[in-house]
Amino acid sequence: MNQSSTNTNLARAFTIGAILAVVLLIVRYSQVRGSVVVLMAINAVLALSLYLPLMTGQLSLASPGFYAIGGYIAAIFSTKVFTNVGTPFPIPLIIVEMAISAAVCGFVAVLVGIPALRLRGIYLALATIALVEILRVAALNLEITGGAVGIFGIPQPFATIASLEYLYIAVPLLLFSMFFVARLEQSRVGRAFAALREDELAANAMGINPTYFKVLSFALGAMLAGVAGALAGHFLNTWNARQGTFDASILILAYVLVGGSRTFIGPVLGAALLSALPELLRDLGDISGIPAWLVSFFKDGRLIIFGMLIAAGAYFFPYGLITPEIFRRRKRELTPRALNKAAVQEGKSHL
Amino acid sequence: MVQLSLFQRRNLPRLVLIVLGGLLLVNLIASPPQRQQLLNGLAIGSVYAIFALGYTLIFSILRIINFAHGAVFTVGAYFTYFLVGSPVGFNGILAQQRLPFSMTFVVAMFVGAVGAGLLSILLEWLAFRPLRAKGADPLLTLVSSLGVAIAIVNIIQLLVGAEVYSYPANPFNPILEPVFGKIPPAVNFGTPDAPVPVRTIQIIIFVFSMIIVAILTWWINATKVGKALRAVSEDATTSDLLGINTDRLIMITFFVSGFVGAIAGTLVGLSVSIKGPYFGIDFGLKGLAVIVLGGLGDIPGAVVGGLLIGLAEAFVPSAQVAWKEAVAFAVLFIILLVRPQGLLGRVVVQKV
Amino acid sequence: MNLLESQGLTRRFGGLVAVDVVSFGVQEGEIFGLIGPNGAGKTTLFNLMTGLIPPSAGRLIYKGEDITNRRPYQIAQLGIARTFQNIRLFGTLSALENVMIARHLHTKAGVLQGVFGLSPAPQEEKITYQRATELLDLVGLADRAEQKARNFSYGDQRRLEIARALALEPKVLLLDEPAAGMNQNEKHNLSDFIRRLRAQFNLTIVLIEHYVPLVMGLCDRIAVLNFGKLIALGAPEAVQNDPAVIEAYLGD
Repeated sequence: MNQSSTNTNLARAFTIGAILAVVLLIVRYSQVRGSVVVLMAINAVLALSLYLPLMTGQLSLASPGFYAIGGYIAAIFSTKVFTNVGTPFPIPLIIVEMAISAAVCGFVAVLVGIPALRLRGIYLALATIALVEILRVAALNLEITGGAVGIFGIPQPFATIASLEYLYIAVPLLLFSMFFVARLEQSRVGRAFAALREDELAANAMGINPTYFKVLSFALGAMLAGVAGALAGHFLNTWNARQGTFDASILILAYVLVGGSRTFIGPVLGAALLSALPELLRDLGDISGIPAWLVSFFKDGRLIIFGMLIAAGAYFFPYGLITPEIFRRRKRELTPRALNKAAVQEGKSHL
Repeated sequence: MVQLSLFQRRNLPRLVLIVLGGLLLVNLIASPPQRQQLLNGLAIGSVYAIFALGYTLIFSILRIINFAHGAVFTVGAYFTYFLVGSPVGFNGILAQQRLPFSMTFVVAMFVGAVGAGLLSILLEWLAFRPLRAKGADPLLTLVSSLGVAIAIVNIIQLLVGAEVYSYPANPFNPILEPVFGKIPPAVNFGTPDAPVPVRTIQIIIFVFSMIIVAILTWWINATKVGKALRAVSEDATTSDLLGINTDRLIMITFFVSGFVGAIAGTLVGLSVSIKGPYFGIDFGLKGLAVIVLGGLGDIPGAVVGGLLIGLAEAFVPSAQVAWKEAVAFAVLFIILLVRPQGLLGRVVVQKV
Repeated sequence: MNLLESQGLTRRFGGLVAVDVVSFGVQEGEIFGLIGPNGAGKTTLFNLMTGLIPPSAGRLIYKGEDITNRRPYQIAQLGIARTFQNIRLFGTLSALENVMIARHLHTKAGVLQGVFGLSPAPQEEKITYQRATELLDLVGLADRAEQKARNFSYGDQRRLEIARALALEPKVLLLDEPAAGMNQNEKHNLSDFIRRLRAQFNLTIVLIEHYVPLVMGLCDRIAVLNFGKLIALGAPEAVQNDPAVIEAYLGD
């Protein structure tokens, strides 16, 4: 028990450090490069979109696929359907696009999920990888998605592209997602998810329909990813097949793996930190006086760090940094040592 | 969940017969364009096959998907490139540098493969063994291997940039010409009026791959080490109890997997040039389709899967050629839904 | 009147016949024992009866209705609950959560109700919490409700599994080796406990058990399996003295 409490305290320390770091990063970059903060928020939503299927024990790497669909929906609607709305592009229409993305992604997820979610473990992960690749190639080839070039000139609701003002939409979205997931975790459906994650067979025997709830969590994740994509489409002003790739799957996986896969705060914090990491590294690279190879490493080596973080994280913190344990105040340690300590204080012996 | 099918010696001759028979048959009946597609398919398929071999070897012994195989594949290709004495490009930390010595191509390929094999052992020791000791979920190991792969590929990029690197032309000629006489750049499988040219290098790659398959199958079936490997893949605990040094065996497997993977990388580089460090990741992804199609952990399956996917890609009608990239993944998705144990794998019943 | 009936249930695994045309009926309100040497197919029979594996042949009848090939959650819905030989608790969840989860079928709040606190979610949560606490109290684990299920001792885990199964408010309770790992005293208490359960919850109970004295003293009727076949069925005394049963247990 002692080792795990050391680990827990370590994790607590890391978490506090992480939160402080995130706050600092937000403060700094909101002045210098607002787009980074918006990306942090969008990526946090994406991380939650991976977290949702994970609640039922399913590792799905499909989020980038739905993110791409969402972006394309926003791009297509705003450039082809909502054409005479003047500038700036009205925010309510963006909300409409987000809603449409959610609906479409949810629908596709159910369609794909019902057959695919009979798979488990690596097989499911592989199926989701395949799905993302198929969607990517489709995006490259279809006319409606603009082929390899993609869609340009997505209308803007704010004065500048990638402006900090996108936070007006991104932050409520993030807060809503966090609220949604947190409340879901505590509810009847959330318990069903947890049961499936722990032992699908036993959950089944206790009356929980596995297919229904697995597809549900998958679809909810897909909807969230789609909504994030719709927002990102406007934010980035252009959208193409490079937005929904296997690489993105790995990044999102890193957010959840490092941040924490057992509680909803983990993915959010992980995403916030790791999204800002590249920028931070780039700034480190600007420090004068460091050797050229280190400069190169800082500027271009962020994926090396990501990769190593994933590998290290898988070993040291398989549930990520932020686990439910670190929130438990009172830990009733029932080890003999603890009992004895209590006994000594009470003047009795428990031996 | 999926039990590997036994490495059956009888599958190999069957496989060879099927391949040869198929080739003969098709050559007789197919029209030149179709013949071209067929041969192209076999050429690229054989490359997928040897890549998948290393992948599936690791799965058969450890029940994990080692995504870092794609990175080792890449490293092997780059090792060969530099050992031949070629210089680094304009980007990367090591820009414009080259090794102070150079080797002939075949030696470079071999040495590079040994290096890759050693790297593979290092990765197993650093990343997989600790996870195995913890009893980690195979999914977690897959994720970890993903991280390793990304890290390695980007280290390569950092060091030598992402440009296209090509090997010297016709590197096998010095060896083959004394035996076969002058080697033409392409061989015509058709008629003078309707030529069906296949680049000689493709033929060499195909033959090479088949030789490697044969050697591996022999190794697994006939040697003591190979038999131990089969034992461990059937039941690791019992094998351990029977005195088989599983740790050493795992190291050997990783070495062989890395070695073969590196050779695959070099051969791909020969065929289409090294397109950049990420080509290993792309191959790694497609390799997943190959090994699942053939059956995870099944050696002949890797070959069958590779050839089939190569053929499937080659036969995509030219009007839809852009969709070629999706073929492997469509196959992967469908196979997972319909027959997750793959073509040659066998399903195991789980005890409740 | 047979509440739950196995009509020729058979299960083959490749060449092995684990359950060989087993037919018997369990009457409402009785405590029915299922015994037999190791590997006789008892747990496989349970798995057949709870939909975890499909039968190779035969039918399962409940309340006169054919429920063969129903899925586990559907069978749970009908009112048949079980515990597992190898204890399948939700390890990292607390004891309370384990029991609350089994109340799933008696609640219906969906995603939106759960997230936004709309009716009937709040009321259901309260009731679920109450019922779960009561059941934990019944098995004597109420003081450790927040502890993770995997941290409980073996015997306590068995009790927790029973509490969880009871949360389903079943009509039939299938217990797979409930006495495993218990000492003499605990086994004696278990007997009483099972009788009380039957009375308190109006249950019909089927139990697999290795410890023969427990079964003899507790069950109204007993079925004996050997190599997948039903070799004896009847009251404890009759079964005890059946030569086929004696041979099965002692071998030749």
